[in-house]
Amino acid sequence: MGKRIVFGVAAVLLVVAAAYANFFVAPTERTMGLIQRIFYFHAATAWAGETTLFVCFVANLLYIWKRNPKYDWLGVTCAEVGLVCITVVLITGPIWAHPVWGIWWTWDARLTSTFVLWLLYISYLLLRSLIEEPDRRALLSALFGVFAFLDVPLVFFSIRWWRTQHPAPVIMGGSGSGLDPTMNRVFFFNVFVMHLFAAFLIVERYILEKMRHDVDLLQREAEAQ
Amino acid sequence: MALLSNTATLLAKELRTEFRSRELLTTTVVFILVVLILFSFAISPTTEESREFGPGLLWLAILFAASLMLQPCFLREQANDTLSSLRLAVSDPFAIFLAKLIANTLFLLVTEILMLPLFAAFYNIPVLPQLPYLLLVLFLGSLGVSIAGTALSAISAQARMRELLLPLLLLPLLTPVLVVSATVSVSLLDREPVVQWKGIAFLAIFDFIFLTALWLFGEYLLEE
Amino acid sequence: MKNLGSVFAAYLIGWAVFLIFFVTLAKRTSDIRAELERLKNSLPRGK
Repeated sequence: MGKRIVFGVAAVLLVVAAAYANFFVAPTERTMGLIQRIFYFHAATAWAGETTLFVCFVANLLYIWKRNPKYDWLGVTCAEVGLVCITVVLITGPIWAHPVWGIWWTWDARLTSTFVLWLLYISYLLLRSLIEEPDRRALLSALFGVFAFLDVPLVFFSIRWWRTQHPAPVIMGGSGSGLDPTMNRVFFFNVFVMHLFAAFLIVERYILEKMRHDVDLLQREAEAQ
Repeated sequence: MALLSNTATLLAKELRTEFRSRELLTTTVVFILVVLILFSFAISPTTEESREFGPGLLWLAILFAASLMLQPCFLREQANDTLSSLRLAVSDPFAIFLAKLIANTLFLLVTEILMLPLFAAFYNIPVLPQLPYLLLVLFLGSLGVSIAGTALSAISAQARMRELLLPLLLLPLLTPVLVVSATVSVSLLDREPVVQWKGIAFLAIFDFIFLTALWLFGEYLLEE
Repeated sequence: MKNLGSVFAAYLIGWAVFLIFFVTLAKRTSDIRAELERLKNSLPRGK
């Protein structure tokens, strides 16, 4: 328990440090000005979310292969945490876009595939809630998780090649393309911090899943008597 | 090869079942028709707009219809637990999927071909000139819908609220098929038609990826 | 400063989402922990 609290406190402190860096260390961007500072939080959260969902994909594959319930716990944990990250991305993105480009949304490759990703993992969680039996639930959601993850690059490229006809504003900007070195350092610091924060949420959520499993076991023991 | 002969037998069974009652085909045709008509009530397109949006709407209607048509795919095997018998009858469970997805693709294609003259009439789009290419796109797109739909139908059949669940799982997954099929169809049916081979290749790749995934993981979808 | 409101809104709403998730997580965890205790206590009596 003590280690968890230390981890949590460390994560929060780093988040505060990152926010400080975003506002006071990073130089002001020439064209967009103040609003560009959303980028550090927004893009770093996007990366953390994508990493988390990739871990979900790996957990799904491992469950199908090994059938160890711990992979199922990891899968649902990463799906939830990843979904929270993507939700933050989908909210902060338009808030950034609207003052700069005058639009809340556009159906370009990145935004559309992010939104479809969000829909797919909502469906993943919904599917789980509709299957009672734990082993069945674990297997079927793992299989859907694999299909969903395979779909995402296909969504991205289909939109990229066939929908981005009007030059849409590059909303998430080339994060590495000729970025000022200080901005780069601040950005990667944010990436590190958001990954750590996501890891903290994953640990906490995983523990909940394990406890749920223990409750399930005890309930069965109780019923057997 | 055992897989092929098993698939052929099962496919014959699927086709026989459907052609005895033809209920799936007729309801699907009528459904697509209704959706297409409702679209034109909602949007009231001009002739130019019909040409621009028509193919996209057709594909949307196909997707909606498919998400309904694919429901019985594995549900009907639950009635008398025929799925267990099927599993015992074949050496490779992939044969069951292959048979079902080929059947589903055929059903979709037949539906689409029956729909085409009506679509051409209501939306004022001549389809005959580009028919071979159009059929190719319809085939590759329907194949993609079938592969994903058959797999997800096996999943949703084992959950509650399956009627709502299948469309919910399937439609976001089929976004690439919708986007590419619609775009390729639009440029095929344009006044100056263009065949987008890149799009056709993309559809083929989508089909290949999901067919491979189904081949790798299919047996787990049917686990007891 | 131009757009200061938007910047604050983005950070505020973004972190609010994380906070809501964490708070609901903490509540779910404490509920489960209570359930776990309840079951553990009821079992030896049953035996």
